[in-house]
Amino acid sequence: MAGREYAWKRRPGWWLRNRRYLAFQLREAGGVVCALYGLVLLNMLIQLRAGESAYTAFLNLLRTPPVLYLNVVLFALVVWHALTWFMLIGKAQPIQFTRKPLPWKVVFGINVLLWLGVSGAVAYLIFGGI
Amino acid sequence: MAESDVLFRVKRYRPESGGRPTFQEYTIPYRSDMVVLDGLNYIKDHIDPTLTFRWSCRMGICGSCGADVNGQPRLTCGTYVRDVHKGAVTVEPLSNFPILKDLVVDFDDFLRKLASVTPYIVRKDWGDLRKEYVQYPEDVEAYRQQSLCINCMLCYAACPVFGSSPEFVGPAASALALRYNRDTRDEGAAGRLARLNTKTGIWECTFVGECSVVCPKDVDPAAAIQTLKFLATMRHMRRLLMPGASSR
Amino acid sequence: MSSRLLRYVPKAYSSTGFPASVERTSFDIVVVGGGAAGLRAAIAAAESDPELTIALVSKVYPMRSHTVSAEGGTAAVLRDYDSFELHALDTIKGSDFLADQDAVEFFVARCPEEIIRLEHWGCPWSRDEDGRVSQRAFGGMSVKRTVYAADKVGFHILHTLFQTSMKYDRIHRFDEYFVTSLIVDGGACTGVIAMNLRGGTMVAIQGKATILATGGCGRVYEFTTNGFIKTGDGMALAYRAGVPLKDMEMVQFHPTCLPGTGILITEAARGEGGYLVNKDGERYMQRYLPGKMELGPRDILSRAMIQEMKAGRAFEGPYGLYLGLDLRHLGAKKINERIPMVRELTEKYMGLDPIHELIPVRPGQHYIMGGVSTNGKGETTLPGLYAVGETACVSINGANRLGSNSLSECLVFGAACGLAAAGFAKKKASYPRGAAAREALKKEEARVFDGLLGRERAKETVAGLRVEMQQLMERDVGIFREDSALADACGMLGKMRDRFAAVGLADKDRVFNTELTAVLELDFMLDVALTIAHSARNRRESRGAHSRTDFPQRDDANYLKHTLAFRTDGPPRIDYMPVTITKWQPVERKY
Repeated sequence: MAGREYAWKRRPGWWLRNRRYLAFQLREAGGVVCALYGLVLLNMLIQLRAGESAYTAFLNLLRTPPVLYLNVVLFALVVWHALTWFMLIGKAQPIQFTRKPLPWKVVFGINVLLWLGVSGAVAYLIFGGI
Repeated sequence: MAESDVLFRVKRYRPESGGRPTFQEYTIPYRSDMVVLDGLNYIKDHIDPTLTFRWSCRMGICGSCGADVNGQPRLTCGTYVRDVHKGAVTVEPLSNFPILKDLVVDFDDFLRKLASVTPYIVRKDWGDLRKEYVQYPEDVEAYRQQSLCINCMLCYAACPVFGSSPEFVGPAASALALRYNRDTRDEGAAGRLARLNTKTGIWECTFVGECSVVCPKDVDPAAAIQTLKFLATMRHMRRLLMPGASSR
Repeated sequence: MSSRLLRYVPKAYSSTGFPASVERTSFDIVVVGGGAAGLRAAIAAAESDPELTIALVSKVYPMRSHTVSAEGGTAAVLRDYDSFELHALDTIKGSDFLADQDAVEFFVARCPEEIIRLEHWGCPWSRDEDGRVSQRAFGGMSVKRTVYAADKVGFHILHTLFQTSMKYDRIHRFDEYFVTSLIVDGGACTGVIAMNLRGGTMVAIQGKATILATGGCGRVYEFTTNGFIKTGDGMALAYRAGVPLKDMEMVQFHPTCLPGTGILITEAARGEGGYLVNKDGERYMQRYLPGKMELGPRDILSRAMIQEMKAGRAFEGPYGLYLGLDLRHLGAKKINERIPMVRELTEKYMGLDPIHELIPVRPGQHYIMGGVSTNGKGETTLPGLYAVGETACVSINGANRLGSNSLSECLVFGAACGLAAAGFAKKKASYPRGAAAREALKKEEARVFDGLLGRERAKETVAGLRVEMQQLMERDVGIFREDSALADACGMLGKMRDRFAAVGLADKDRVFNTELTAVLELDFMLDVALTIAHSARNRRESRGAHSRTDFPQRDDANYLKHTLAFRTDGPPRIDYMPVTITKWQPVERKY
């Protein structure tokens, strides 16, 4: 006389249950955002090829306030996505010089510094010697 | 309810009656050093003997007593009521598993996954029973953390990926695979990596990281899985670019 | 093993109530209990012959077995400064000369290969700088021979054995099957009747040989290191089938348990140099055992603690009197490397850090030297029935067990018993008669489902009667015993045995009914407790862990023999059997 097992059902909004789940969802959303923004940049190339007027029109679209605000939000998500990737590196591939591998926070810090360095160099190149 | 009482809300499910799991409330005497398991035992011994839950060692080493306490997967023997006493203590069966009865869940699936990662030393030549294999303290340290898993399954309860994709091999089984891969006495790493390098293996993981947060033994299965991803990829690349090279 | 994972299947039981993966109902060997001894026996049998089929039946998943909580280590002669002679002498002296010396000689000679075999199977023994297995000092051992894995030796041994057992398809696991009785047919044991907890049915699991490896019975006491599942099931099963229980009065109380919870603080804390102090800060063991101090045998240490408490030199706390375990002089590095779990447990359950503070400790029930009477191969007086581990009494531990000998015992005798059972099974041409099993199954279903489960909840509850029994044992059959208290215990337990008939159940389900399993366990525990009390009352001497205030001396003339307790319809019948002495004549046990 066996009884029935109750199949577990996931509650909607499970990801609001704690901070870490929410951070995870934002990070994943950030990945989608990165992909979508890639499409935007791709579209820029297409408009460039389509001619001067098309390209200028597209650039003007990009400068409108709603799009600028959207860019700020998207930039925040992209940065969050990048930072969470850096947190992963130390755990995925331990870098070991001594008996114990480097703590992930150290690897994270090094990567952030490298990233800031590279970003600074790129900004210098684009905005020409600030 | 007196000052020195505490309210327990426990999820009940009777398999022979069917229906849906429902909460039942119990008011029990409070002691400053009581753990949630003490509360459950008090209910069973003095109020409601039908309350069903697993436990044994009461010292956090057997892994029997996992449950969702106030929404978080915890060992009831290691969770002090004073730390989770927010008006009431809510105890439910571990998420992501089918419920057998009350707080007892079915985790046979986990044992199949555990068996599937070849969780034992694989060697061609076993050598002599008069001498141990030489293993230096730093070699032991290399796999020590992953060897501490007590199979309590809090990590599976915490993993949202396992919740939506029950075929996912999961944190504990993956950590155990890494434990054997990193053991200098073992020669079966290739087989385990091949086994895990599948969609339902480690690649289902999207590094939420909650498994490592809830692990009561600091096994850090999240790091283990990411390491396995790296190792599996390296092995795959080596075989692609250098076919016929070593069988590792 | 296919690379595709099995799709998760919620319903895993066939209509026979067996796990869906198991197709046979008869096995060569049925092992009851999935701890170190049971797993080692199953593996030994599986390795001896690829044709053998083995059923591993356990009321919990094997990794929950109480082996998992063992902390300190496991002993073996591995180095030149040690010898089998010395290990045997330490063990026999530790046993207060009640151990069977032929069995001890067999035991010490096989410990080393078991340690190495486990090492080959992946057990993470702690290592010296040269890569060889480390050994540490332990109570009653004259040299450092206790192999260890930080202080989680039981956990690592159990998981190593459990994972290694997965290599063998011929070991068929019956997880969460509660064995309620043995099948006895034609004067031999031919298997077990078990309740499938998750399916809610009873099944007959037949075997040419049956091995009981269900551990000890610490839960008959109120204050014990033992987990909830240690209820003497295998001992009671054998006892009811007519097999005697040997030396049941020999109960070990471990000196260092945390007050309140009873959680064990390993002897290794003393092995690594810890001190025991009273409230005056004095290392009081210098008054009881100046030769060995904190590394004396457990019975002497536990008695010393009680005496310190009686003399008013103990601390007082919310859970009564206690003494102090001082690890402060060991330093953080040693504690974190060699005994990390001691620190974890003390911080979690006492809120204290042993690096800076004393650990409160007091004696608690921990192990029982007594058990199902077997010979050196685990054979009992019932053909086809074997017992091994804490369930059995060979005896190598006699009246007091040395720490770190019991895990070695599980491995050595687990292997020996598994091989013996395998040999026995191979010699039997045919599997047991189905008819006997079917009859036994019908009887058990009637007894358990109709009889026990059908009882209405009335005056007696399982929890109430159980607590009474535990408190009685704690009070009257504890560290210090004397006749009137023991007589009282015998009488009260006999009455509780009768009162059990009035215990009713509120949970009427058949599926996973833990009230029903608690009732079945209480039934087992009452039988076992009676044998302990009666055996203790009849041994009118003090030897090892059995300490009589009315007979404080050891009496070799009258009591150099093993107690046997046989089941009757009334109180147990007590008889005796001689101790096997080979090389070591009993002398005064001085340290």
